[in-house]
Amino acid sequence: MSVTVDARQFADSPAAYFGHSWHAMHHMPADELETLQLAALQMRFEELRDAIPTLAAMVDEQGIGALAGLDDVVPLLFQHSVYKSYPASLLFKSRFADLTRWLDRLTTHDLSSLDVSGCGTVDEWLDVLDEQTELRVAHSSGTTGTMSFLPRSLREWDLMFEAARCGMFQFSDPTGAGGAHDGEYFELIWPLYRHGRSAIMRMPEMGMKHLLGSEERLHVLRPGRMSSDAMLMAARLRAAAARGEVDQLEVSPALRERRAEFEREQQEMAGSLPRFINEVAQELAGRRIWLLATWNVLYGLAEAALDNGLEQVFAPDSLVTTGGGAKGQQVPDDWEETVKRFTGVSRIQHAYVMSEITALNKLCEEGRYHFEPWIIPFVLDPEDGSPLPRDGEHVGRCAVFDLVAATYWGGFISGDEVSLSFDGCACGRTTPHAARRIERYSEKEGGDDKITCVASEDAHRAALEFLTGELD
Amino acid sequence: MSQTLTELCAPALVRGDLIEQDLVTFGGRGGAPFLAPDPQRLIPLLPLKDPSRLEDIQTLPFEEIVAYLAELGSALELERNPHLQQALEASEQFSDMTAPLVRSSFEQLPALFAPELVREVADSTIGIDHLEGWVPRRMSDRRTASVRAFGARAVHIIAGNSPLIAALSIVRNAIARSDAIIKTPSNDPLTALAIARTMAEMAPDHPITRHLSVAYWKGGDTEIESLLYQPANVEKIIAWGGFASVTHVLRYVQPGLELISLDPKRSATIIGPEAFDSEDALREVAVRAATDVGALNQLGCVNARVIYCASGTDAPGVERANRLGQAVYDALIALPEHVSTAAKRFDPELRAGIEALRSSPDWYRVIGGSEGEGAVIVSQLDDPVDFHRSLSGRVANIVPIDDPLDALHAMNAYTQTVGVYPDSLKERLRDLAPLHGAQRLVSLGYAADPSVALPQDAIEPVRRMVKWIVDESCDLRETRPLWDR
Repeated sequence: MSVTVDARQFADSPAAYFGHSWHAMHHMPADELETLQLAALQMRFEELRDAIPTLAAMVDEQGIGALAGLDDVVPLLFQHSVYKSYPASLLFKSRFADLTRWLDRLTTHDLSSLDVSGCGTVDEWLDVLDEQTELRVAHSSGTTGTMSFLPRSLREWDLMFEAARCGMFQFSDPTGAGGAHDGEYFELIWPLYRHGRSAIMRMPEMGMKHLLGSEERLHVLRPGRMSSDAMLMAARLRAAAARGEVDQLEVSPALRERRAEFEREQQEMAGSLPRFINEVAQELAGRRIWLLATWNVLYGLAEAALDNGLEQVFAPDSLVTTGGGAKGQQVPDDWEETVKRFTGVSRIQHAYVMSEITALNKLCEEGRYHFEPWIIPFVLDPEDGSPLPRDGEHVGRCAVFDLVAATYWGGFISGDEVSLSFDGCACGRTTPHAARRIERYSEKEGGDDKITCVASEDAHRAALEFLTGELD
Repeated sequence: MSQTLTELCAPALVRGDLIEQDLVTFGGRGGAPFLAPDPQRLIPLLPLKDPSRLEDIQTLPFEEIVAYLAELGSALELERNPHLQQALEASEQFSDMTAPLVRSSFEQLPALFAPELVREVADSTIGIDHLEGWVPRRMSDRRTASVRAFGARAVHIIAGNSPLIAALSIVRNAIARSDAIIKTPSNDPLTALAIARTMAEMAPDHPITRHLSVAYWKGGDTEIESLLYQPANVEKIIAWGGFASVTHVLRYVQPGLELISLDPKRSATIIGPEAFDSEDALREVAVRAATDVGALNQLGCVNARVIYCASGTDAPGVERANRLGQAVYDALIALPEHVSTAAKRFDPELRAGIEALRSSPDWYRVIGGSEGEGAVIVSQLDDPVDFHRSLSGRVANIVPIDDPLDALHAMNAYTQTVGVYPDSLKERLRDLAPLHGAQRLVSLGYAADPSVALPQDAIEPVRRMVKWIVDESCDLRETRPLWDR
């Protein structure tokens, strides 16, 4: 098979290309993988360079005609802030036609004829996009008082979870002997809302087919929807509070009309996590579950369950996944042991996750995060942004190109500082790998008003209180 | 390289005595380490435990203070002052400013000590008569009250974005006949020290020399600071700068220990439609605005960042704003080296933010910025960029508005200076802008060149640095006593 044909199959369905084996994904000889990645990168560049207006403008400005090597794409990687490069006032003034026009410059999907004139809030805008287009936009948590919107479409979501499924067997089938594990599914314990449009909140909906098989295997704490407007208000409140400007926050008339809805959401938030986990644990005892949450949520769930005498509850081939790091909190030494004692799993899966890419990059036995093969990682000089050599280990700004992205541009520069190695890993995997300690540059530079995972629940609660209080 | 870096040493100067033993290493801002005396041993030496020891400075005639400062000013001429020369040379390692700007700041130091200015500061902030003696006044109940300004014991937590802050603090302390412990910042550990060493060599036993100490310790080290920040040791803390440093000091404030807070601030600019009256007007406005942006390399709170321009917000209006943007950028790049240079370090997060805006040409026009030389972002709608609070490294954001008064909504308690063009617009704004939080209005182009004899941040810091003591004389025949009412 020619490299070109291979590259298409590889990028258009990584899971199928590697025979649905996570082991195979990480054991292709490094030079072969790089050849494959370069061919796939060139293919995406050719497909997208004229189809995404923002990219086309960058290509023109940089005068780049072709990509001869992987590093040639670096000047064309999007800054992470590109996905929130619209004026924040468009959101607050409900100028959704303008926002659509902005988003249209970032996707191959044609949004020019979309009618969003009836939209007064972010939720309504995303409703229209969900109903009338292939896009299933993922937004950020809005930590800085505004939100980024990534125009991922159904196609990429599907490929993402088809591939994510392979990594679900990291511990239960380490050598990939079990093949595609057809018909095997997980019961998802989801201590969050059923619906929502943030990258994480899209998971139950987008991953259901590949990971759960059907709705019956989904066990949620809150059956309703986490409002994107409430999330945004949470972030704005926090930012305003930090500046002593809460009094100046304005609530748009469209939000005012949704008061009853926010009150329902607020009532749902009162849903007790300990009661939920105790009920779910009893219902699912002995079954194969998947539990995905930040360390503090996992720890809280485990402590509540252990208090009720629930130990070693689930099937041993269950999976517990975490990501997101400590976020500046004191992590108790025994948190992993506590979670393992409750669930009955022997190991916790750690993943380096960015909402902008379609991969959960998993930690190996040697404590290194391995990038999934359809992600080309780069490490950039933190001051001038130039790529550091693709051999040995270097510390710098992490950038990636996600080859699965076929309707938006997969290249972007993160805000993370990583120590990235291109040499083989002691674990035997051939893919580039990053050290466990990952920091955000914005926090290194003296801190920003980022909401941590723990605080975000509080911030959301505060936003709902503000919204319902404000509307009295 | 690391060898030369660790050799940088910032000794302490305690009431005229140089302390350079028990050195420990501190990480400087941006990572350049330097040596300074171990604070554990140093801090106990700093307070003036017995407040009556202020007597020597309290009895100094004001003209002797003027003469002392004048002599100090001439000793601070860069060409003949080895301490300043050394500080200039070392500034490469710690300062946020580039060397040409540190040099030109140092060259401005002697002017701060000139007799006319010293008299002006003293007279307009406290009143020389109140410094020199008791000023009597007949009150409405016919008692005679005499008021005099006394010195106090103070810690000055100074900011390091401009060397002039160190000099100004020393001048104010001398005028206020006070005792100052200057806590230096890691981005300027040497300027205050260089001035203090010059004083110690010039007049080792003079009360003004003996009532100044300069030391570095890591701000926020509660173990150390709690030993010093007590009413028994100091009566005032004058805290400049960063949000963290000011909020941190709050924990020590208690009866008997007052905080004079020169909070972190930002500034704004408002340009009236007159800027577009002629090409000449546009060019003049551009140079003025570029100076407000670029002076001090935009490290100061006085610098322009968001520039509201009443160009109109319709298509021709936005086009006028774009023309102004280009003109401001051209003027910025042309500023002479002693006023402004390309930034020493261009914040990579800001660079990323600016790059991202290039993907939204409908909303933002980005002029320059690809080489870290500075940039002008022209909003194509009437809102600033969302990272406007992080503008630095000579980056301005021009925002078109319809009416100059529309800019008032962007002002708040953090708005220190508002540069305005033309002056007639300033008169319209000055009764309104303070209600929104603005603290100083100034002709466009002069934002970064404030008079030090005026109120600062809407307070009078020097007036608050002294203690206002009252002596009331009541004659039984004139002022009816309480027991007889």
